[in-house]
Amino acid sequence: MQASRARLFKEYKEVQREKSADPDIQLICDDSNIFKWTALIKGPSETPYEGGVFQLAFAIPEQYPLLPPQVRFLTKIFHPNVHFKTGEICLDILKNAWSPAWTLQSVCRAIIALMAHPEADSPLNCDSGNLLRSGDIRGYRSMARMYTRLAAMPKKG
Amino acid sequence: MESETAAASSSSSSSSSSSSSSSSAATEASCCPICLDPLTDHAYLDRCFHAFCYKCITKWVKFAAAKHPRPLSSIRCPLCKVENLSIIHGFSGGSFQRRYVNQDQRNRCLSGAYELRSHVYDREEEIANNIFDVQRYWKSRKYLWQNMWLQNWLRREIQTITQEEDADVIVHHIQGVVESFMARQQKESLKGTPEQKREEFRRLIFGAAGPFLLARTKRFVDELELFLASGLNIDAYDRVYMQRLSMSSSRDTREIDAESSDQSVQSRFLYFLNEDDGD
Repeated sequence: MQASRARLFKEYKEVQREKSADPDIQLICDDSNIFKWTALIKGPSETPYEGGVFQLAFAIPEQYPLLPPQVRFLTKIFHPNVHFKTGEICLDILKNAWSPAWTLQSVCRAIIALMAHPEADSPLNCDSGNLLRSGDIRGYRSMARMYTRLAAMPKKG
Repeated sequence: MESETAAASSSSSSSSSSSSSSSSAATEASCCPICLDPLTDHAYLDRCFHAFCYKCITKWVKFAAAKHPRPLSSIRCPLCKVENLSIIHGFSGGSFQRRYVNQDQRNRCLSGAYELRSHVYDREEEIANNIFDVQRYWKSRKYLWQNMWLQNWLRREIQTITQEEDADVIVHHIQGVVESFMARQQKESLKGTPEQKREEFRRLIFGAAGPFLLARTKRFVDELELFLASGLNIDAYDRVYMQRLSMSSSRDTREIDAESSDQSVQSRFLYFLNEDDGD
């Protein structure tokens, strides 16, 4: 418990110190609870998520960093490995392949990488996975693009 | 994970404001990747040599092992995923300590007698040097009688000192040196004084064991001489030691019953080796 708090505080200080290090990731700690974080990540370029800003919610267990943080998308996203309703993410490092050397920052980077490289063979969003698996790249892209426009971009006007 | 997704709560914040000057992170090299604090009690994994705090990495090993349905014998490095068998820590001058991933099983296996022996070697001075008459051993040429427990005794001592299961090579090497020395004495037993013989014996063993036992070699030679001089079997020898150490008699030595010790210890080691396949 104490260890997780100390480590999160370290990460907090690191985030404050290197705010400009990764312009694609903005990590924000909850004002009153160091076990709750949100992150804003930019959709990677040359993907249908480009131009969008996606909000992630982190719930950090007391045994962190022995256990991985629970992360989900708060912003709606059309992606084979993200549950369309709950925002749950299917990513090995958040489950079996977790290592205590990961940080919240590097988890965000891994999620950005997942957005750029969807894994259609272990889909949480079957519609999206089926489009990719059947080779309908155009269909997948346009759906993903539409939801990025609807949910992850500032509304104009 | 409720399904009340606050749909399209698009937070329109442009996080592109990059202003602050780049702060140096030069100190990161000496930080533990698990707690992110500066390293305390440096520990290294034995294959990839990545460094962690001893406390942090053992905690992770325990945690990973507890999650696993079968006992782990190796651990993946949190940084590079290389499989490692042990954690190396506690450097002090020329020596270091080693904690195996399957330490808890080993402890069960190496309990009792091994603990006693390692306690004996940790002490500076000989405890039993006035119990057994070493001088008389050399004078009355008792070495002409073979000690049939020697091999088992050597194996246990060397396993204790090196903290390695597989000590057979060293055991055979040292046993060979002892036996060839004794055989030579049988042929030319009249040459030389007992003191000279003793001196030569100690020198030979020291030379043979030195490369493997390092700083513990001298104590090992002392102990070997005492064991031979005692003429006792392992069980009886340990009892004498325990009396000396005034350790509680409850910590009995059933582990090394003189007749069956070889087989029982050996088979347990094999059992652990079979478990080695990990995931």
